[in-house]
Amino acid sequence: MSTRSTITRLATGVPGLDEVLGGGLPEFSFNLIAGPPGCGKTTLAHQIMFSLAKPERPTLYFTVLGEPPLKMLRYQQQFAFFDAELVNGSIHFINLTDETLAGDLDQVLHRIVLEVEKHNPALIFVDSFRSVVLANNAGGNAHNSLQQFVQQLGMVMTSWQATTFLIGEYFTETDANPVFTVADGLIWLRQSVQRNSMVRKIEIMKMRGQPTLPGLHTFRIDTSGIKVFAPARVLAPLSSSAPKGNPGSRLGTGVPKLDAMMGGGLPQGYSLLVAGPSGSGKSILAAAFLIEGADRGETGVIAAFEQVPSRERSPLLAQLIEQDKIGLVDTEAPDLSIDEIVLLLISEIRRLGATRVVIDSLSGFELALAPTFRPDFRESLSRMVSALAAEGVSVLMTSELEDRYTDLRFSPYGTAFMTDAIVVQRYIEVQSRLLRVMAVVKVRASAHSNALCVYEIDDKGIQVGATLPEQEGLLGGRPTRKQLSRTSHGLSDD
Amino acid sequence: MVSLESDRIVGALGRRAGDDPGIAGVVQSIVSIWNEIDTTLRPILGQRGVAMLYKRSLFLTGAAHGWLPRVAEVLPAALDLAPLQAALMQQGNTVALDGGSALLRTFYELLSSLVGPSLTERLLRPIWDNS
Repeated sequence: MSTRSTITRLATGVPGLDEVLGGGLPEFSFNLIAGPPGCGKTTLAHQIMFSLAKPERPTLYFTVLGEPPLKMLRYQQQFAFFDAELVNGSIHFINLTDETLAGDLDQVLHRIVLEVEKHNPALIFVDSFRSVVLANNAGGNAHNSLQQFVQQLGMVMTSWQATTFLIGEYFTETDANPVFTVADGLIWLRQSVQRNSMVRKIEIMKMRGQPTLPGLHTFRIDTSGIKVFAPARVLAPLSSSAPKGNPGSRLGTGVPKLDAMMGGGLPQGYSLLVAGPSGSGKSILAAAFLIEGADRGETGVIAAFEQVPSRERSPLLAQLIEQDKIGLVDTEAPDLSIDEIVLLLISEIRRLGATRVVIDSLSGFELALAPTFRPDFRESLSRMVSALAAEGVSVLMTSELEDRYTDLRFSPYGTAFMTDAIVVQRYIEVQSRLLRVMAVVKVRASAHSNALCVYEIDDKGIQVGATLPEQEGLLGGRPTRKQLSRTSHGLSDD
Repeated sequence: MVSLESDRIVGALGRRAGDDPGIAGVVQSIVSIWNEIDTTLRPILGQRGVAMLYKRSLFLTGAAHGWLPRVAEVLPAALDLAPLQAALMQQGNTVALDGGSALLRTFYELLSSLVGPSLTERLLRPIWDNS
């Protein structure tokens, strides 16, 4: 039996935060929540408090100068987590304005200790700590007594077996603030502004005794409170996940001829990139892929960044979405982050037990991201593809491809290597007509056709036809009729 | 809705005053409720916070009950009930009870407009439970 001290970890009740913290909040820890005004410090504190406060876990919330308590109560009530019934029950708000105004830190500490002894709380919040610091500065001899104050506060709280949060602002990270040394945990909230977009980010700069996820994680505040978007790799994997269905089996794409070209359909669990110019029918192929799945009793998820499937344009798909056989991921929130999208996708996949996922299109996806994430788009895509692969789903992604006839490229992002299969679509000019051709470029570990086949789009969808053996130079966009030769058919139609 | 909920605090005053109170009984009931409000809210809002809400309530109620005092201090540091007590003593039973009720009702509605009916009810519940 281990004789080491056991640290109980409290679930914060903030979605995604426990994952980022490395398993929850260590009990009896002394934490600082810092960040500029408006970054969500008080909201985070309240959300944690309302989730953790119980009759057996009483909570004290000290308000120091800063935001008047009347306003704090007024605004925090707008969040769903606020429960008025807990106030003056499991949660006590205590105003320290008078003690702070006196500018004497000893008096502030004295009052805090008195209240702590009276209520015997398991959780303590001090909001905002900056006011304490300012009050101290007014008294002169700033540094020494503040350090003493923080040190004593930390000692009192820990001895009294209370998990404590100081909420502060205007700290600079490089400053050798005594609070940083004493604190067991430093939770930093930020607002990253680039161009006209603002993205909220959270960073666990320190959390003693546990493996936190380093780096900045995005979060969003809505009426339900704060949601942190932890990277997909740390989400608890589903036991049933990866791979779904029979490994080695093939999925129909909804276009039988294309299935044949791929050597019998898309291998289960593969990601397929459909690249082509505007109007080449990528979204139609994507819809066919989902509808084919639904016909076989499978469920799917679509993240539509260009156009939400509508009754007019794709009635079948719209109907399946209404019937909840296909989940639609809301991509209309401004300033999305890749982690948020991945999380939305994965929660829909798990909710529906989906096997097929469509992302239409990568170009629209890039535009939907906040500017701050765009430089890292390739890395993010790669993370997303592996997160989806870990769920065991088969993915179809479309990618806008500028028609350039001088080079043969498959995606503007250098993403081609990330996917397991690629189908490319092109326009060609033949006898004063604009025809469409498609080819299977790659299907990892599988034989596939190398034919460039003409296809048409009609009411029933994509109709793949034959190759054009009389034409050559198709990829240049302006094929020429072969002069002759009965024997050499460069392109085979299999 | 708000006015219905604020009836409870007025009801508490009625119960404390009893069926046939003398003026001293009325005044004592009103003052005791205000003291309890102060005790309940001061830890949360601070004594300046409570004093300011009291000042605002007197200001609002004074329009209909001209005999109610005003808080002279620009920024009151704490609740001072002596002027209210003195003014109440000058009135007859009914007038004092009406004015006192109106003042409590205004205060309740003021707090309710700021922190919402449910939190107001939660905070002030002990006062009528105690009446």
